Amino acid sequence: MTFKAFIIGLLATFGIPWLLLVVVPYSTMRSLGPVEYGKDSEFTGAFVPKRDGRIKEGSRIFGQEGCALCHTQVIRPTYAGNDVHRGEWAGLRKSSSVDEDTRRETIAQDFQQEDVAHIGQTRVGPDLSNFGRRLEHYLKLNKSSRTPEQWALMHLYNPKAVPRYEVPETGAQIITAWKSACPPKSGLFAKVQVNGAGYGNLPVDIEAGMGIKPSDRARALVSYLLSLKKDTLGNPLPDALNFNPKAPKSEE
Amino acid sequence: MAENNSTADSKDVVLRSSIDRSLRHPVMFLFASGALWLVLSIVLGLVASAKKHNPEFLTCFSWLDAGKVDAAHMSAMIYGWGLQAAFGIIIWLMARLSRKECTASGIILWAAHVWNAVVSYGIIRIMMGEGSGVTYMEFPSEVWPLLLVCYTTITIWSLVQFQVRDAGHVYVSQWYLLAGLLWFPWIAVTAWVFVFLMDGHPLMVAGVAGWFKGTLFSLFFLPVALGSAYYLAPKVTGRPVYSYNIALFGFWSLAVFGPWAGMEKLFGAPIPQFLPYAGAASMILILIPAIAVGYNIIKTVIGNSEVVAESPSLRFTAAGVVLFLAFGGLSVLLHTVPALKLTQFTYTGYGFDILGLYGVFSLCAFGAIYFIVPRITRREWLSRRFIKWHFFCSIYGISSVVICAIAGGLSQGQGIEDLSQPFGTMAERASQFSWGVTLAWAFILFANFFFCLHLFLMWARLGRRSSHPTLLDAHHPTSPHGPEGEVDNYSSASA
Repeated sequence: MTFKAFIIGLLATFGIPWLLLVVVPYSTMRSLGPVEYGKDSEFTGAFVPKRDGRIKEGSRIFGQEGCALCHTQVIRPTYAGNDVHRGEWAGLRKSSSVDEDTRRETIAQDFQQEDVAHIGQTRVGPDLSNFGRRLEHYLKLNKSSRTPEQWALMHLYNPKAVPRYEVPETGAQIITAWKSACPPKSGLFAKVQVNGAGYGNLPVDIEAGMGIKPSDRARALVSYLLSLKKDTLGNPLPDALNFNPKAPKSEE
Repeated sequence: MAENNSTADSKDVVLRSSIDRSLRHPVMFLFASGALWLVLSIVLGLVASAKKHNPEFLTCFSWLDAGKVDAAHMSAMIYGWGLQAAFGIIIWLMARLSRKECTASGIILWAAHVWNAVVSYGIIRIMMGEGSGVTYMEFPSEVWPLLLVCYTTITIWSLVQFQVRDAGHVYVSQWYLLAGLLWFPWIAVTAWVFVFLMDGHPLMVAGVAGWFKGTLFSLFFLPVALGSAYYLAPKVTGRPVYSYNIALFGFWSLAVFGPWAGMEKLFGAPIPQFLPYAGAASMILILIPAIAVGYNIIKTVIGNSEVVAESPSLRFTAAGVVLFLAFGGLSVLLHTVPALKLTQFTYTGYGFDILGLYGVFSLCAFGAIYFIVPRITRREWLSRRFIKWHFFCSIYGISSVVICAIAGGLSQGQGIEDLSQPFGTMAERASQFSWGVTLAWAFILFANFFFCLHLFLMWARLGRRSSHPTLLDAHHPTSPHGPEGEVDNYSSASA
């Protein structure tokens, strides 16, 4: 084997996968165009995923705090896993309080405004693709006095201190409070002296005159988490993105 | 040895010792600081694993949060230990095989110091919650170009040595090292540009980071480990490599299959569908180079089983090669589509990564270090017992980490897929197995504490002044290392 043959061999064996796996798909995915609703759809114009909140900033903090180690953000198609059928990971199931099944798989447009998609490494905690959706729904259903933001902040401060919500009808549940394997993220909170009513502090009892105040990072992270509503509620998929158009709208 | 060869032999000895002397400081610094990073990364791994079964463990320190400590653990193992050990092996082996003294040891030493500073900075930033937030490339974006500059400054001399070598046969190890030297910057620059500089689709950014992690192992750590194994097996047994053709086949099959690895981590995500399949196929096909290399090296050392048992270098190297075969076999089982469903988001991936990084790469690197250090310090290893502890605790520890993580991960994955089980069940299953992983890391920590201590004693030139190498059997009459001589003189079995 001559040196020249060696170098040409390396260029070919590495260059081809480099182009096919990295350069070409990267460029293609970079220029994804807007997807229009079909003619017979009741919606017009292009499909836009609905998200609001401090997404870019919160997404970065989500990555920096290492949340993606235990929480995924992808609902795989059924050939790759049972995610769509696991609890209410993929959206809300039809029940007495939900008119229509809103579950769907993850699409490429779901990660708009983020720097990197937090697909995740393991599933020690539940998938978060629809965390914001589930939380709002369960709080309403359980007539909780907490806002979603308060609940999420409490979960970050001490995952074992928040109440566990269940939907008896569908068997779905959100975060088993008493045996959560999620480590508390106390670094995102500061112990401060309470002045007046202590607005914005967490509803936890520590020593008198002191309160637990969420940092700005915690607020940005929670704002991001609550923006995770990757289902079809109020924002159905256009035909071109609906990978499973014949799926029943409810489970018989 | 014929008499007319004796002048050539003595010239050879002088050349070899001048090469060793020229590289003494940079190589010892790289190995010793790498070993320290290894100990640190194992401590971080212990904490990370303990948090999986005791979530409240050490929560008073927010810089030790589960996600951050895990990222710091892997980064310390890859960039602190793995790459530095690889640099030491590359610059020493390339100088020996090209028969050229190193004329830039001062610059290499300086760059190695900068490398350590940059890695420390990156890990501190990760633990402060200021990393990049990109899974598998957690260092902040400014760290990567600095690492690349250090990499170039450390390794460019090896390319120069290869270019100016006296013309002649290029040995197998040289292909692997040369290819690894060229692949690494290509992979790292691609990943840095596509992940941090360009404004790509978030999914492809995650995909490129996954590809970086996959190819960093298959196209940098593996070639260095195999290059070292191809050097040590014939050198220590005094026999030529079993088959030149199998070596050639093993090398090119790795070059063909390796670059596709990594994107199987995004199986089922909305990216072009062939990407994760290509990654999974590449991981399955890695069995082919594994069999080729495993067969070739085992055939080279077989029949000299007492040498394998007695020489620390060969014992570690042989164990690394056997674990590479295990890695290839497991890779086939874990990357088929039905298995990917279970393994993609579970601890299995962690166990498999550790098998590659510690079981294959690190064991081969330990073998190389046990061979190189006595030559550059001109002292023999102090303690047979330390080496034995290092070996047995490493083997026991790595087997336990891998078995617990893979079995636990499969049971966890089965739990996620089985819809009749509540989700909490599988999280519990995973946490039970992580007790085993924590215990196994404790064994590996014990092993490497003594390895690190031993290496520092050697660095301080407190090794034995003796012409007899330290062997693992006390009663051996002759040197099992065989006659001294360059391995490339053996050429191939067919010659």
